[in-house]
Amino acid sequence: METNSLIEVRRLVKNFGKLTVLNGIDTEIHKGEVVAVIGPSGSGKSTFLRCMNLLEIPSEGEIVFEGVNICDKKTDINQHRQKIGMVFQQFNLFNNMTVLDNITAAPIKIKKMSKAQAEQLAHELLAKVGLEEKATSYPSQLSGGQKQRVAIVRALAMNPDVMLFDEPTSALDPEMVGEVLEVMRGLAESGMTMVVVTHEMGFAREVADRVIFISDGKIGEDKPSSEFFINPENPRLKDFLSKVL
Amino acid sequence: MDFVFFDRMAKLLSRYQSFFLEGVQNTLIIAFFAVLFGTVLGTLVAVMRMSNVKPLRWVATAYIEFIRGTPLMIQLMFIFYGLPMTGIQIPDIGFIPNFPRFAAGIFAMSLNSCAYVAEIIRSGIQSVDRGQMEAARSLGFKQSQTMKMVILPQAIKNILPALGNEFVTVIKESSIVSVIGIADLMFRTNDVIAITYIQLESLAIAAIIYFILTFSTSRLIAFAERKMANGNK
Repeated sequence: METNSLIEVRRLVKNFGKLTVLNGIDTEIHKGEVVAVIGPSGSGKSTFLRCMNLLEIPSEGEIVFEGVNICDKKTDINQHRQKIGMVFQQFNLFNNMTVLDNITAAPIKIKKMSKAQAEQLAHELLAKVGLEEKATSYPSQLSGGQKQRVAIVRALAMNPDVMLFDEPTSALDPEMVGEVLEVMRGLAESGMTMVVVTHEMGFAREVADRVIFISDGKIGEDKPSSEFFINPENPRLKDFLSKVL
Repeated sequence: MDFVFFDRMAKLLSRYQSFFLEGVQNTLIIAFFAVLFGTVLGTLVAVMRMSNVKPLRWVATAYIEFIRGTPLMIQLMFIFYGLPMTGIQIPDIGFIPNFPRFAAGIFAMSLNSCAYVAEIIRSGIQSVDRGQMEAARSLGFKQSQTMKMVILPQAIKNILPALGNEFVTVIKESSIVSVIGIADLMFRTNDVIAITYIQLESLAIAAIIYFILTFSTSRLIAFAERKMANGNK
């Protein structure tokens, strides 16, 4: 397994002032793997995810992405972020751009793709998530579920090697959760490497290959999803699962 | 206040038309350059204020706080009377009469306005949701690219109305340059009062002219705002 690890997290510590949010995280994300990250709120799971593309700068430890320690000040993080797609809880679509421009901006400006090529790609991806007819809409004209699907497409348009999801369904109305999870399920089946911070236990159980439980800034349990829910060992996890299941 | 009041206003306006006209002209010159330089310098100070370099941030913050915390009148006096004492003389330029006075007036107004503009721009930029920056950075955009493509287009909608208010304020506050002998609208109004001893009527004329200037400015800004709003949401 060592050879096909995409992201290695080593002794990751993150402090906010005097508060230690992550206190020594060690794990690996393998190519093609879908990893769900769960845990009580405030446990540090979002911070853990945001450290992987350096939206939060780790206080200590290393994040090795495709063999390169991206925490090293000498690495050009912008280069690596192109290969790490991210989807946010609050969608964060660019409000001043149409759906199409949201999707094509990065491929055109960063990857120097031609406009026609980028737009064709955008239309193809939009069709996959059932939003072809929204290409010329602005984010404010979309529902939450539609925004999140566009946000996923925007990240995918950069053809990333891994997709990070930060509670992608937590800000959605209940009836829209399904449409977003459906897209993510399809993505997982296509072999995309995914790390998903989520409260959707059903998704973690059915789609994820592995589930990581974070509590108090540490990994409390890290198991294949088939065993994770059936046989929890960590008392905190038992307590957590009894509350959410 | 009766009919005689308006009658006198009309007579004053026709007889001393040239006074008021010259005054308006000079007020507009001062206000225009103050707004222009104030906005350019203000943008610069705003960038310094948000910079990652701490000393730059300190200097900008201290400047903004000091300027906003002291009267414009004193700032003007220091520049007009104080600067020459330190040996910095603004040279006379033949073809622009009264150049040193105008230069000092515009300089003081610009330095003052710049502090307010800097705060307007900073708060406009910081009012854009952090998630917009994060999303762009997560795609691999550089900070400067993100600013240009995502943040500024959204910030401008918050900045523009407040900037319009600042322009209006500059037009009104520019009346203060009359104390260093610039023949602006306020100065020329005082001339008319000195000649005619008719005070309130003269001031009423000046007030109406100031109002026309400020009101058309704010309408113009409102028009620009609507244009922006139509473009996108």
